[in-house]
Amino acid sequence: MTHFEATCFETLDYIKNSYSARICQLEEEKKAGKKIVGTLCLFVPDEIIFAAGADRVILCGGKNDAVSIAEQYLPRNICPLIKSSFGSIVNNGYSGVKSCSHFGLVDMVVAENTCDSKKKTYELMGDYVPTYVLDLPQKPEGPAAVKYFLEELNKFKGIMEELTGNKVTVEQLKKEIISSNETRKLLHRLYDLRKREYPPISGLDMIKVMQKQYVLSAEDFKEALRTLINEAEQTRADSIAGSKDEFTHRPRIMISGCPMPGGSTKVPEIIENRGGLIVVEESCTGTRSFWDLVDENKDPMTALAERYIKIPCSCMTPNDRRIDNILELAREFKVDGVVNYTLQFCHGYNIERYKVQQALKNAGIPVLSIETDYSDSDVEQIGLRVDAFMEMLS
Amino acid sequence: MISVGIDSGSATTKAVLVIDGRIAANNIRPTGFDFLSAAKNGYEDALTNAGIDKKDVNGIYATGYGRNSIKFADKAVSEITAHTMGVYHLYPAVNGIIDIGGQDSKIISVSDGKVTDFLMNDKCAAGTGKFLEYTAKALEVPIEELGSLALVSKEPASITSMCTVFAESEVISLRARGFKKEDIAAGLIESIARRVAVMVRQVGLKQNVAFVGGVAKNAGIKVFLEKELNISLYVPPEPQITGALGAALYGVSKKVK
Repeated sequence: MTHFEATCFETLDYIKNSYSARICQLEEEKKAGKKIVGTLCLFVPDEIIFAAGADRVILCGGKNDAVSIAEQYLPRNICPLIKSSFGSIVNNGYSGVKSCSHFGLVDMVVAENTCDSKKKTYELMGDYVPTYVLDLPQKPEGPAAVKYFLEELNKFKGIMEELTGNKVTVEQLKKEIISSNETRKLLHRLYDLRKREYPPISGLDMIKVMQKQYVLSAEDFKEALRTLINEAEQTRADSIAGSKDEFTHRPRIMISGCPMPGGSTKVPEIIENRGGLIVVEESCTGTRSFWDLVDENKDPMTALAERYIKIPCSCMTPNDRRIDNILELAREFKVDGVVNYTLQFCHGYNIERYKVQQALKNAGIPVLSIETDYSDSDVEQIGLRVDAFMEMLS
Repeated sequence: MISVGIDSGSATTKAVLVIDGRIAANNIRPTGFDFLSAAKNGYEDALTNAGIDKKDVNGIYATGYGRNSIKFADKAVSEITAHTMGVYHLYPAVNGIIDIGGQDSKIISVSDGKVTDFLMNDKCAAGTGKFLEYTAKALEVPIEELGSLALVSKEPASITSMCTVFAESEVISLRARGFKKEDIAAGLIESIARRVAVMVRQVGLKQNVAFVGGVAKNAGIKVFLEKELNISLYVPPEPQITGALGAALYGVSKKVK
């Protein structure tokens, strides 16, 4: 078993160590009168927040320490992501230790109607921080869904205008759409590099970049991506992270399923330390966040509604788009196997697992399903499954 | 070619010595707290039994829960691959394996001796040797007798709890309600069989299925499992050592040292 050597681009260090700098940046912005919006899901369009002159930071919790705090208020059997997020909010105001410095900085949380656990938790969250819930149509296909979502986005635009005191203009929206599309195109370029036989960046590093996507300011993230792409493109493909031999028998893995917010990297670590190479993530911390662009030639609000409603999340029904997407990504990134990653008690993705498994089996692509939480108690058990999966793929 | 496989399980440690593809000796012992000592002692006993000197051994291969802590082994391999190789050696026609060990149950789909799919129980003891151990205690029956006792039952009690701890209290409550010992034993084993059968159907095993691991020694489980699945299962004469055997054979096939 060869231990995976992390790729060492300077920009990666910058991205990984950007947390404190970002907190200072947000504090400065607040002093200057800027409003800070916290979001917990990809369905909330950044473009509208930015067009209103606010900044945003994603509040999804990936750390285990806040889970037990949340369990004082929430049932144990909901997913660790929600418990971690909620625990961080509660911990921020009511005890000496702050779990996450972002929570204290936000003027408003913009939540969304996705899974049951989330939407009910938002009702409790409102006691701690102003919370606005964006409603989503649950059946995403067809013009009625886009029409409904457009209405919701218009309401949301009004809320942002009220919060910031700024009018959201068509020109401003168009500018933000072009800017966000630029980020998406940069991410496409970075992911294209991973299609190589010997990708210049490890999956674990890539996940850490993606985790910072919504923590860093849009401009800083874009700048970091540009330098990272330059660094990665200049590196000789066969000389990265050790010799070519080291890569020879590394099965190419796709992770598909639940998001992996900052702090939650247990499974990718196990996969890459036990011989796998993650080449693509079909998740909210992966392709789902940037895959589709917003149409720059349409009315901006309609274009936003059309793009965002397409995100293939398991809270939607049916969610066949996700299945098609997984199969397409598996081909594009030439994966040898898929790890279907779900969080314990995440009913949406856990139920959808069956459809994902069937689709992959029919396509002849091996799949390993892992259901876990943020604790370390199952590291050995997961390690065994991953070992066996790697042996099966070799 | 002399190769040794060591299966360092959560409950027992198994060592198998293979000479030119044939089992020359084996040793089974409780793992206890110290995985490494159990492995070392098992290895040495197997050598002594076969009259082989350490220096003549070509390779040592570890598998099982403690596989990565057996420092004197040349290489480690997962239990999934090891059991598959071991069982395939004994039954080349096999295309499915049920392995119930101390803390894991594994269902493996096999094609031409290669793993094509597998499923393991959640991080919970339901349907494993641990479940039997705890519930046998609640029933005050030695674990070895639980299976034969269950076979006497004409009317198995219904055990609905999947959780080991709750099943234990369910047993106590059935005792309090005056149920017969054999009926409770049968109920427990039936509940394991049901649990395992669900996993077997998920993986899609239909025929030529082998049943291995420590729990396969329990005749009662085999009978109930066969009834539940409506197939007959191959159980090797010594079902506990297929993992260690497979690890030894893995070494032979890889020629790694």
